[in-house]
Amino acid sequence: MRALIRAEVRKLTTVRTGYTLLAAMLALVALSAVATIATAGNAAGTFSLDTARGVRAVFGSGWPASFLVLVLGILGVSGEFRHGTVTPAFLITPHRSRIVAAKLVTYFLVGLAFGVAALVVTLAIAVPWLAAKDVSYSLVHDVLAVAAGVLLATALYGVLGVGVGALVKNQAAAITVAVVWSSVLESPLVGLLPEVGKWGPVGSASALSGGSSTEGALLAPWTAGLLLLAYGVLLASVGTRFVAQRDIT
Amino acid sequence: MNGGVIEVRNLTKRFGRVVAVDDMSFEVHPGKVTAFLGPNGAGKTTTLRTLLGLVTPTSGMATLGGQPYRQLAEPVRTVGAVLESSGFHPGRKALDHLKVMAIAARVPPGRAEEVLELVGLSGAADLRVGGYSLGMRQRLGLAGALLGRPQVLILDEPANGLDPEGVHWLRRHLRAFADGGGTVLVSSHLLSEVAQLADDVVIVARGRLVTQGPLAALTKVTDSEVRVRTPDLPRMKELLAAMALPWEQAGPDALVVRSTTSEVIGRAAADEGVVLFELASQRSNLEDVFLELTTERSMA
Repeated sequence: MRALIRAEVRKLTTVRTGYTLLAAMLALVALSAVATIATAGNAAGTFSLDTARGVRAVFGSGWPASFLVLVLGILGVSGEFRHGTVTPAFLITPHRSRIVAAKLVTYFLVGLAFGVAALVVTLAIAVPWLAAKDVSYSLVHDVLAVAAGVLLATALYGVLGVGVGALVKNQAAAITVAVVWSSVLESPLVGLLPEVGKWGPVGSASALSGGSSTEGALLAPWTAGLLLLAYGVLLASVGTRFVAQRDIT
Repeated sequence: MNGGVIEVRNLTKRFGRVVAVDDMSFEVHPGKVTAFLGPNGAGKTTTLRTLLGLVTPTSGMATLGGQPYRQLAEPVRTVGAVLESSGFHPGRKALDHLKVMAIAARVPPGRAEEVLELVGLSGAADLRVGGYSLGMRQRLGLAGALLGRPQVLILDEPANGLDPEGVHWLRRHLRAFADGGGTVLVSSHLLSEVAQLADDVVIVARGRLVTQGPLAALTKVTDSEVRVRTPDLPRMKELLAAMALPWEQAGPDALVVRSTTSEVIGRAAADEGVVLFELASQRSNLEDVFLELTTERSMA
């Protein structure tokens, strides 16, 4: 299993996709942090930086960009089918579930790494800016708690992506499913029917990263984290069965 | 590993309503190059992919050394396969492609450079595969197949996209591999591609086995025309009529006799004291034989 995880990491570091998505994610994170601080307490649905919610919204502002980790996870599986690299992979490891398992672990770790990078960018923008505004906050409650949530949400998005990629073989279809699900179906649902929406993957991820302005309507972070993990594992195990039975022609 | 014997037994694969492989059985032995021949769509690729555990058979089995591929303890050290040339990420460099494989297969990382050298691609190691020609991809595919120093090589249409020099190179490689005791199964839709290379042939059409055996036997079976030149045509014709052999005039003093061998005609002529100026078996073109065998079956 360690060899397979190392091979997955090597696959990721030897093509441009991962670097491109990382750069795109960090740009979005920066944008999001700046926008959150600049509009705090002024725009509808935002909280002033005097409040704990307002501060936590700043430190958690990067999480929506972790959608790109979901995309990376999808590409990590469907790309193998698209380029036919699945053939050598399955020839080397005929027990296909081991490859999917290696991908789940790899993209969890990659998600963590992306999450760390996102937090570094967020902190680099937020810490001096908030200091300049004389905003005070609690390191443990407002920074570390939120940071842990963002990290976990991003990592679990990687797991979720692998699950979606295993389930939907066609790359374009898999990404379309993810985009449509999160931005067209679930995100509005979280806003319109929070009682239902909070149970979905996107609702869970926003609860976990704790920065959402709709806080209160969402699940408790620990519940949300477990639920998100359950979604990832569920998708991945169904996806693994699909992958195991698929004829590679 | 039971001597690297490949065995396909009563293999059937259906894709929906299409029967790609239909109750196929054959064996491939080590120390020889076996050509797996048949027109496009004959089920060759499906058979090979089933053998390699990539496709699940509908019924029957395909084994390597007595075991299905998916149950081999160390598949990469047992079998090397070159399938279609699209098994590469275009944005990955050739050496990285092999290193990824080597890591997953737990082969020493230095082996990647070694096999790249072996197939003559060392100079292109740091090029992205997207910039590779078809021939270079085939070479890279072979490099990947050799990573684990396997005892069995399985190649699907490896000559596609290779220039004549590349085909020559491939031929030498496969011959050396078989001479070293390895098993080689190489598919092709062109007999001429493998005629100079193969020891044995397995011929398939429409998903079914047509014939298998040594390539030499195939030419013998179909070595059915004999050219005879004699000063005594009338007696020769009488002789042939007595033996019920069909013939055709092929010049003022020559005949072409069908469905026989030069041995039969030579002996008959000696027994009857007919003088022969020339006695020659006319080998039918192998390609014609192949066409005949595979189209006959497809019309049945």
